[in-house]
Amino acid sequence: MKVTPDQLKDYVFGELSAAERREVEAALHADPTLRDEYARLQVTQTALFSVREEEMPRRIAFVSDPVFEPKWWQRWLSAGPQLGFASAALVAAAIVFHAVHQQPVPAPAPVAQFDQAAFERRIAEGVARALPAALEQAEARHKTQLASVMQEAESKYQRIRREEARAMEAAYNYEQEKKKVDYLRSVMQ
Amino acid sequence: MIFREVEDRDLILKAQKGSVDAYNLLVSRWEKRVYNYILKLVRNREDALDLCQDAFLKAYQNLKKLEDPARFSGWLFRIAHNEAYSMLRRRKPEDDIDTAPVDIGPGGGGMLPVETALAVEAAMTRLSPEQREAVILKVYQGFKFEEMAEILDCPLSTVKSRLYTAMDLLKTALAPNGVRNESNA
Repeated sequence: MKVTPDQLKDYVFGELSAAERREVEAALHADPTLRDEYARLQVTQTALFSVREEEMPRRIAFVSDPVFEPKWWQRWLSAGPQLGFASAALVAAAIVFHAVHQQPVPAPAPVAQFDQAAFERRIAEGVARALPAALEQAEARHKTQLASVMQEAESKYQRIRREEARAMEAAYNYEQEKKKVDYLRSVMQ
Repeated sequence: MIFREVEDRDLILKAQKGSVDAYNLLVSRWEKRVYNYILKLVRNREDALDLCQDAFLKAYQNLKKLEDPARFSGWLFRIAHNEAYSMLRRRKPEDDIDTAPVDIGPGGGGMLPVETALAVEAAMTRLSPEQREAVILKVYQGFKFEEMAEILDCPLSTVKSRLYTAMDLLKTALAPNGVRNESNA
């Protein structure tokens, strides 16, 4: 079977049926020129894959988008249980208010003098005591998380780099070997 | 992969019935692919992000018109394609996209090794916009020829022709030096 360059590209792109794939593979086995072309296409594809997908600068948010917010009447219709609960709470509050209103109001109990300055001083002292420890804990936690993330990113980076280097080296070696074979062939002829 | 397709179909059906949560999940699954597709077309991150947002909004507004949920990806990319080209057409007179500098600044997508990625970027800019998009859809997004024809709204033969020519040009541009010299000789 004669395989055209376009059929070979279809093979590389995975667009052929199983039977067509087998035919191309048989032709590749038999034809060194076709194998060279196949290798060149693979090198091209490997190079194209070296451009990786970017992470998005920020996520697309739809929940907060006003376009997706329900209309007032949709909110009202979907709020049946909440409306019922609110009505019941209102009735209960009215009953309680009525009952309290009927009782004689007792004389107010004497209230101890409240020392605002002392209270604020105690709060400030408590905060001053607790703050350094809390900050230290937060910093330690942050450092641990950061180290873990950095380590993960570094190992991922190294792994991708190794894979890329291996792929490029394999492609390069293949081309070099091919050149050597071509050269030897030409010398032998 | 099949499991994922079934899940997508469920989400699409729910979203078609008005579930914003289901649509949000769909967005979170597809936003990175759509963003990267548009980014390679317009070559500007801010524009790509805005267009991506617009594409998902338009898709949501028209989701009920999608009859077959299995065709969601092609349909979504068709919308993204239209959004990108509308913007490019609007800007064309004052800002020719073919001569615009390639936006591959720091933090650009973890390109490794850098030299190869730069060579690929340079080679891609030498393709026509149609050829470039064919490569993006096939190589980076993995669409089948039929899906590409739907997204680009052109015949299958045109899609193939653009892709084959682009691959021949890229093959020459990205070949190792010795081979390139041989093929040029």
